Amino acid sequence: MKVRFSYLDRQFAELDAYLADLRNLVISGDFTLGKAVTEFERRFASLCQMPFAIGVGSGTDALILTLKILGIGAGDEVITAANTFIATVGAIAMTGARPVLVDNDDGYTINPSLIEDAITERTKAILPVHYTGNVANMPAIMEVAKKHGLIVIEDACQAISAAYDSQPVGSWGETACFSLHPLKNLNVWGDGGVIVTRSEELNKKLRLFRNHGLINRDEVEFFGHNSRLDSLQAVIGNRLIGQTEFITNRRIANARRLDVELADLKEFISIPARPGHVKHVYHLYIVRAKRRNELLAHLKRNEIDARVHYPIPVHLQRAAAYLGYQQGDFPMAENDSRMSITLPAHQHLTDAEISYMVEQIHAFYLH
Amino acid sequence: MDATIRIPYVDVAKQHATIKDELLTALSEVLDGGHFILGEQVDKFEQSFSELCGVRCAVGVNSGTDALILGLKAIGVGPGDEVITVPNSFVSSTACIRLLGAKAVFVDVGDDYNMNPKNISRVISSRTKAILPVHLTGRPCDMEPIVNIAKSHGIYVVEDCAQAVLAECQGKRVGSFGTVGCFSLHPLKTLNACGDGGVLTTDDPILGDRLKIMRNLGLKTRDDCVMWSQNSRLDTMQAAILLVKLRYLDRWTARRRENAGHYRQALSNIPQVKLPPAEKKYERAVYHTFVIQAENRDKLREYLTAQGIGSGVHYPVPIHLSTAGRELGYREGSFPIAESQAKKVISLPVYPELTEVQIAKVCSCIQDFYSKH
Repeated sequence: MKVRFSYLDRQFAELDAYLADLRNLVISGDFTLGKAVTEFERRFASLCQMPFAIGVGSGTDALILTLKILGIGAGDEVITAANTFIATVGAIAMTGARPVLVDNDDGYTINPSLIEDAITERTKAILPVHYTGNVANMPAIMEVAKKHGLIVIEDACQAISAAYDSQPVGSWGETACFSLHPLKNLNVWGDGGVIVTRSEELNKKLRLFRNHGLINRDEVEFFGHNSRLDSLQAVIGNRLIGQTEFITNRRIANARRLDVELADLKEFISIPARPGHVKHVYHLYIVRAKRRNELLAHLKRNEIDARVHYPIPVHLQRAAAYLGYQQGDFPMAENDSRMSITLPAHQHLTDAEISYMVEQIHAFYLH
Repeated sequence: MDATIRIPYVDVAKQHATIKDELLTALSEVLDGGHFILGEQVDKFEQSFSELCGVRCAVGVNSGTDALILGLKAIGVGPGDEVITVPNSFVSSTACIRLLGAKAVFVDVGDDYNMNPKNISRVISSRTKAILPVHLTGRPCDMEPIVNIAKSHGIYVVEDCAQAVLAECQGKRVGSFGTVGCFSLHPLKTLNACGDGGVLTTDDPILGDRLKIMRNLGLKTRDDCVMWSQNSRLDTMQAAILLVKLRYLDRWTARRRENAGHYRQALSNIPQVKLPPAEKKYERAVYHTFVIQAENRDKLREYLTAQGIGSGVHYPVPIHLSTAGRELGYREGSFPIAESQAKKVISLPVYPELTEVQIAKVCSCIQDFYSKH
């Protein structure tokens, strides 16, 4: 049995409806910030229970545009998690600011108790990452930020529909940045991203900033980027956004089942704590496993597409060399890079596929 | 005159009506592959595009603006540097310089709406890092003197080819003169995606490899991040669409040139209209826009609109006089030719699908307007 990590082939089961939409779009010629984008933004905002959503080119661009519009640049520092995807750190570096990393906790999100030590007089913002679809400890982070007068920007690229204390991600920070990359819970068929904010002023500025700073076709208010969510991708997004609740619930159900059925392997597999006040949406179902590489090889041999997010922690990447971090600086993130394994948990998995996966993991450890 | 003929300024839908089955087949193939980021279609498009421009590498990115940003960044443009360009372009050719923290230095243009090479030397300083000529309207800049000036000062040339796929100067395609060429594939360009897209060209394979890393978050492989960078990939779906359109590009370009020829002929004896200067024998323009200078321009536009004829103005406000451009420190009078052109230019429909009857109607309406005014 094949258990795939990507579920896109199963999304195509209803291909005709998508193609009909694309056909209409192609004929209309409405390819830049047209009706489809406006509709998607409206629906995305309402999904996040926020007043404004702005479609952009990618989740990375969502971060870059936000940081820049908030005036973050050379000479500033931005605090983020040491165990994130490189794009979070890259986005900070793109503005000219210095990324300052903080180790993560058991739940794969930034450890709030370590943030204060990383604050200097140059710190402008905290950028917590809702990594794996889990939610960073936002109440604690907001408190530190408030105490030190710092901006909070949420990297919610992996966490659509997640919540902490029933408050949705995207509603905590000055803005929140989402990705619509093909493998995200809510995806489009290429790169795409969304910024969510409750600030009318930021909404206005970001709309200009993603579109050359143009107030209208001929008047430029300030020099800006070109980072627009493609209409073509918004058309796909409009088809899928209605399924977000279903997708989220399926992923949560799959994760719970895996949690239960792997619980007897606790000698080998450590499942992160699942606190009841957090709504984790399982973009990635990650556990810490003994003999990780062997397990990975075993699963691959048996056609289960498990993965590693990520084998090299961000501070040990070549790109980060100038930041001066060393092996040992972030013990949790480093340990995770050696022990973590991501199992497929997407919404299109069948019960039989999950059973097979659980069986294979047991077979690996118990035989 | 047939009052029922309506002539929009652009008509992308008309282009797509003729090829929509091919487009949808190409999209279905992407879906069958289940692969939406980079991959086969992007590779193929890059290969074809590099051959088209006569260079060794092409790198697909998210927009023409991103192509400029990445191109300038790849040659090391940053804070403290100056880049020489023109004030009569679309805002993004200046914005990309500013977004990198560098200073945009303008020179005035010539009759052909392009950078006048004679103006370059006097603005070169010790901080000048590059010259960024814009092949505006789809007409190639006079590249020989520009390249020579750059060489003699040891600075780079980055070409803004956003409007000029297939344009040629001295038998060479634009995008092959500079260290890098930056193209837009925006829906209204002569080679157009169904959304934003861009592509860079370079004859330097090392730079080409670097640009491929730069457009993909600095990743050399999935796990090896060698530099911080942005995410600016040409969508696989768009690459598939572009591969279909590449089959037609020669034909479409020939049609644009024919349309320009019809306009030249029919408008040549209207004294209030100044045609674009005839192509020099070493130039081949592709007429992304067909721009004339017209007396009483705004009234003419209104008149044309009332007759069902769309037109454009590229661009009414020179960049140094825009709100954003004030910080550059220029003022009214700094670039007299660009400023004077901005008041008179009007772009007439010139897309490949236009019929001779439609062009004849545009021309007779212009004639009528001046006989009444």
